[in-house]
Amino acid sequence: MIELYISLALILLLTIAIGLVRVLRGPTATDRMLAAQLFGTTAVAILLLLGQAGGNTAIWDVALIFALLAAVAAVTFVRRKDIDTTTET
Amino acid sequence: MEPALIFDLVLLLILIGLAWLLLASTDLFRAVVLFIAFGLLLALAWVRLGAPDVALAEAAIGAGITGALLLVGLGRLGSTERCRFSRAPLTFLQRLSAPVLVGVMIPSISLILLLEVHQLAGTTPGRQGLINAFLDVSGSGHGVTAVLLNFRAWDTLLEKGVLLLALITIWSLDQARPLFHQEDISPQLMGLARLLLPLVIVVAGFVLWQGDQAPGGAFQSGALLSAGILLAILVGYSLPQRWQGLSLRLLLAIGFGVFLLIAAATLLYSGYPLQYPEHLAGSLILLIELVATASIAALLAAAVVGGHPPDDLSTPAAKAPSTSGRR
Repeated sequence: MIELYISLALILLLTIAIGLVRVLRGPTATDRMLAAQLFGTTAVAILLLLGQAGGNTAIWDVALIFALLAAVAAVTFVRRKDIDTTTET
Repeated sequence: MEPALIFDLVLLLILIGLAWLLLASTDLFRAVVLFIAFGLLLALAWVRLGAPDVALAEAAIGAGITGALLLVGLGRLGSTERCRFSRAPLTFLQRLSAPVLVGVMIPSISLILLLEVHQLAGTTPGRQGLINAFLDVSGSGHGVTAVLLNFRAWDTLLEKGVLLLALITIWSLDQARPLFHQEDISPQLMGLARLLLPLVIVVAGFVLWQGDQAPGGAFQSGALLSAGILLAILVGYSLPQRWQGLSLRLLLAIGFGVFLLIAAATLLYSGYPLQYPEHLAGSLILLIELVATASIAALLAAAVVGGHPPDDLSTPAAKAPSTSGRR
């Protein structure tokens, strides 16, 4: 079972690697930011799988914090005063 | 190959690649987003290294504060400074400098690491046994907390001092200016904040409390709370004017101050600073952690706001912790 959990986590990690293309290519600032947001969700899933594999509940606390704070960077992004979110950066 | 080993290798490769990309990025916004992703993956790496305490701190700092801090900083730069990377053709020496630097750095760092790893193989597996042997008298049930607040409490005391110094430096530079539009706050955002803020405060309390038995503690909890304060500022809460004077400064300094007082008291009592009497160790650690959490939360949030509270009473300003009353 442990192998299965780690393998699933590995697949999720690879999706992050693929998602990085969106951060690198953009074209708009919003594209980049939303890709990073999606990484946050994926990281929560990876942490839950790793916690299940290792039997360490402290890892779930890390996932909990990521889930709680995922919104903070995005809210900062939309509430900033002076960055145009639609044009290409 | 085992899946765990492949996972670690892929994680390592992505981390190194990300670090390279974000340092080499000429687009500062892209660099900020890459840094947020880097923080996420770094927390995963700490988990894989079996250091959930560090992973918790990295998660709270990386997801909560750093991203917001960098985005706010980027906004402050203005459009002219953001495009300061000129496209002018490089001179011959400039072209040469990067390969030479990389060519010297990578072999030397690899050599140092190889030598270190070679030495590691012959030593004992850390100080786990020693710490566990003295855990009973430390006043804490968790090894990392025992090290941070008892065995090596000096380091933690100085760390609190460094945070305070950093904020004093920030405050000496500028006056805080409003960071965000205060007029157009959407109802969804308000609703999100009203749902999230109580949760963040409860989880921060939980993380602080379980530091006695499991990964957690003052820094993680304080970082989480500061993200909560930041969220509150983002949806338009601000610290009332009457709290911005002495009370805010007291809150910022109380963590370091109480820690220092305890160091002085133990020096007089036992002859050594921060050598707690055995029956009081648990209570003292709890006291230090409580005040440190409040100070760390306020310090980090004030660092994001950037600048001291305005002296002029007529200008309203978005200023740090709106949650001080709730704490």
